[in-house]
Amino acid sequence: MNLSLYQDKGTWLHNLDPRTKLIGVAIVFIICLCFNSPIYMAIIAFSVFAIALSARAQKALWTLRYILLLLIVFSVILWPFFTTGKTLIWSWGFLRLTKESLFYGIAMGMRLSTFVIAGLILLSTTKNEDITNGLIKMGMPYPLAFAFSTALRLVPTFVGAGATIVQAQVSRGLDLESKNILSRFGKFIPLAVPMFITAIRYTNRLSMALESRGFSPESQRTLYYEPVMKIKDWLILSFMLILLIICLYMRIFLNLGVVMPGRL
Amino acid sequence: MRYALEMWKNTRMIVLVAVSAAIYAAALIAFKTAIPLIPGVTEVRVAGIFLMTFGILFGPAGAWGLAIGNLIGDIFGGTLGPASLAGFFGNFLLGYLPYTMWLNFFPFSERDYQWNVKGIKSWSAYISITVISSCSCAVLIGLMVDAIGIVPYEVVSRIIAVNNIIGNLIGVVLLIAVYDVTKNQLGLVWTDIMGIKPDSMSFRGILGSWLVATGAMAGIFAGFIPGLSVNLVSWSSLIFIIAGSLIL
Repeated sequence: MNLSLYQDKGTWLHNLDPRTKLIGVAIVFIICLCFNSPIYMAIIAFSVFAIALSARAQKALWTLRYILLLLIVFSVILWPFFTTGKTLIWSWGFLRLTKESLFYGIAMGMRLSTFVIAGLILLSTTKNEDITNGLIKMGMPYPLAFAFSTALRLVPTFVGAGATIVQAQVSRGLDLESKNILSRFGKFIPLAVPMFITAIRYTNRLSMALESRGFSPESQRTLYYEPVMKIKDWLILSFMLILLIICLYMRIFLNLGVVMPGRL
Repeated sequence: MRYALEMWKNTRMIVLVAVSAAIYAAALIAFKTAIPLIPGVTEVRVAGIFLMTFGILFGPAGAWGLAIGNLIGDIFGGTLGPASLAGFFGNFLLGYLPYTMWLNFFPFSERDYQWNVKGIKSWSAYISITVISSCSCAVLIGLMVDAIGIVPYEVVSRIIAVNNIIGNLIGVVLLIAVYDVTKNQLGLVWTDIMGIKPDSMSFRGILGSWLVATGAMAGIFAGFIPGLSVNLVSWSSLIFIIAGSLIL
């Protein structure tokens, strides 16, 4: 069962070092946090969207189209009632809608969508193993990276086992179609118990296999695949860093791109 | 916090982290789009039934497993973002508090590190820690996602708290079903794997538990305290939760 969002397209983003993409996405996240004006956020959102198109991540974007749309709608509706501004547009009882809070809601919707698109770019252009390798190279302790990568590999196995268990229980008469939230929780128990036991048995077998091969969490490791930073990686990282410094300068010293002072 | 760091030297505990992360992530992915509550942020978390079970049975491995599992759920679900960091730490607390508070949350705590289905102490510990860990997670995630402009704290913190409490309360059936098999047949309770006897109740443990409990309750009911700003109360609550967790 393939759950990964990775698409083997061979674009310029696919060929970058995983560290460049991880740091790049983190920089995009921070840049998003620099502004809360809809105009500035729109510029960032469209830039990130253009990068996603150049990475040919349309398929992944299409999969999440409803989430992206709902994020914007949800933010625009919700935020105006939890933030306040000076220019009143409408009020009813304790509810107040101001121009600043409405703009802030729109900006937050775009910020959230940008977060999701930036994350998608990383996931659709980088294999899970490469993400782990990148994290190890960036200083993540090996035992943690090992647990992370093992879990990534096991997830499709357990989702497949879960699907088999669901089919087995449904064939015995379990009704999973109920719309009631509480009953859905309860009905998951007959599925969770065999899923839990199947998975847990795996622990002892895997531990024995590792120990018999001399696995030691504290020993020094070498990697079969050694990611190498090339000139283009350094160029892109330098560009992103300069962009981040400019954005921070605009926000902190020039107070640009702000409709709601005092908030990120 | 000691055992949460020491466990990384034990191969079986590391594998347990991976397995519990994979189970949690698989359940999250399977139900991610079933009933979204706040699109891209949270949904009805059927996987919530695993939280206390992992925390009590696997201890620190369960805590790390929940944190990593939540991150993997975001990766496969396509919602990886700054909120994933908040989710990582919040879910860590959901697994960390059950095993650290089990013997220390006086007067609700259990006397021995065990689950006894017929014991009132086990039930009082389970229910009280369910509420505290769920609220602590909600305060931490709520504040972080509010600070970065994802969802207002007042909305998301209560949704997460209720979601986790319901999951944990239903999840007691799972704990009852698997406790004996995991402990006696498979020998995979964390205290047996690490070969330790958890410290019995201490002043330090009680102080830590009550700091976390005070922070969690104040954080969730921040909006109902007249004359105090939600921001001030919730950030103070977070400091209490972090300080208490570090002491435990």
